Parts: sequence; structure tokens; C-alpha cells
Amino acid sequence: MRFIGRNEGSVESDTLNTLVTAAIWRAEQLEALGLPSSSAWAEVSSFEENLANALPVTEREGRIARRGAVHAALKAGDYGRAETLARGYAGEDSAPRSIKSALRQILEEDARAMANRFPYASKRHSPREARDLARHFREAGPFGLAA
Amino acid sequence: MEIDLAQLRDMHPRLPVDVALSIVGRAALALERNGHASGVRLSLYAERIATNALLFWPPADMGNIDRHDRNRITEDGAEAVALAAAHRHRAWRVIRRMQREEHADWLLEDMGERGRRVVALEVSGVDRGSIGTRLSDKLAQVTKSVDVDQRWAGVVGFEKPAVALHRTKRGKRGE
Repeated sequence: MRFIGRNEGSVESDTLNTLVTAAIWRAEQLEALGLPSSSAWAEVSSFEENLANALPVTEREGRIARRGAVHAALKAGDYGRAETLARGYAGEDSAPRSIKSALRQILEEDARAMANRFPYASKRHSPREARDLARHFREAGPFGLAA
Repeated sequence: MEIDLAQLRDMHPRLPVDVALSIVGRAALALERNGHASGVRLSLYAERIATNALLFWPPADMGNIDRHDRNRITEDGAEAVALAAAHRHRAWRVIRRMQREEHADWLLEDMGERGRRVVALEVSGVDRGSIGTRLSDKLAQVTKSVDVDQRWAGVVGFEKPAVALHRTKRGKRGE
């Protein structure tokens, strides 16, 4: 992973900031219209991840991008990606305690929200199990024919 | 002081063209549906100091107003007016839009004498009535924003064109 300096990479980070702004705007507009927005949030997560790769965790905008990548992955319904990103960011050498705790909190809040949405299922399965099942059914398709 | 929404992208070069066009177009609709014409007097309340400005915008296509959601016209239109006022008042420029979990709509930069500082700005619009109550709500919201130097709320009223920009002294500290 290579971070860019404020001057050296300002053009790159400016471009990524513009792209993430446009992507967030599109996702918000779809949500406001009540249209499916998962793929738009997946795009947001991807641009936030690129920004996180460009800006070190010691910079505030780098931390905003890291939280954004995880939040957007959750809004895209991709818990696996959110968890992988959060684990990777929390494991960075220079990650301050605040970002580690914030990333853990984001995943915990999402798990709590899921348990509230599906109280019956949450009595029998952990959020992780429920997500694994959901992913399995999504990947397997309606007749369970996929691998 | 004059504020021309047609210049929004010159004020905020990182703002995507489609976003700028969308919010300026909705600001024009929000103003014209309240009976205002370009060049209207805008009351600007910045940190309790009141000034006036003349607000200009490109003509709205009122024939298409029914194609837009009423609340989106107010909220998105407010973004254009607040960003333009923030630039005219403080010379701030947009860095990026924030996701709602960051408790602010925009991250802006302030290139002041003390170097580059980042500002969280939460924006809201009021089609009819006073902007005071909404400003308190938005200040409470932006207080929760982290990893920024300053936290501001901006509320735009369209019935009697007005924009209030206010800073909250409270807030969580970033690292």
C-alpha cells in the first residue's frame, strides 16, 4: 500500500473526492426515490476504499474514508466486505485507538440493527450465521442450483 | 455582496458537475415557487451577525417542477445556497460529501492563516416558516461529527430568503 503526500497526491485525492461525492449523491438520490441503491452504495464503498488507500490513517480524511468504506459496504448489503475492510483498517500499524473502536462499533451497531429487524431469527442465529445463510441463499439462487 | 449560484463550481471546483447542476436547479425551483426572482435580497446570519446579499440564479424550468419531489427541492436547493454562502462568507471550498453516519453533509477546507483546517457542515432547508428551530436541530447533529476542526450547521429558508451559518463550540475530538 502506498500513501500519497498532501502536495504530491492532491490531484489524485481531489479526483477521488469528486468521485466519492458523485457516488454518494447518486446513492442518496436513489434512496430518496425508494429505488434499489445497493449497487450504488457498493460503488461508494469502492471509491472510499481507494481514498483510504491514498490517505494514511493518521490523517483525518483517511479515517473518514475508512469509516466510509465500511459504512457503504454495509449499506450495499455486503457484510463480508465490511468485515474484511474493518479488520484490515484496524490492523494498520499506525491506526489510532479511536478508529479501531469506531470500526468495531460500526459492525456492532449493524448487527444490533439486524437483530431488531429480525427478532425471531436473531433468537436462533447469531448475526454472522444469519448473514452467512443469506449470502448462501443469494449465491445459490432460487433453486439452490449454484455451487 | 452578491451571490450567484451559477458560479457554484468556480467556488467549489471539487463539486461534481452533475451534483452542482442538480442542486442549483433545485435551488432555483425552491426560490421561484415561493415567488422570488433572481436578484432577490438574501438575509445572511453568520455567527449572529446579520448582513444582506443579493442572490442570483439561472432561470428555473417551472414547467417541470412536478417531476421533482417537493422535499428534495427544499433540501437539495438548500445545499446550493448554503455552499455558496459559506464560500462567500468564509472562502471555504468543498472537499467531499460525507455519508450520513458522519453527522454532516459536507467536508470543507478553510485555507486560513493557521493553515488548512477542515470543517464539517450540516445543511437543511425550510420551505415555509422560521429557520431557528431547524438550526438548533442541525447544530445538535453536527456536534457528533469527528475528525474535523470545526462543526457548522447551515439552514436556508426559502419563503423569506435567508441563510444562517452557525458554529457549534462543542464536539467530539478527533485524533
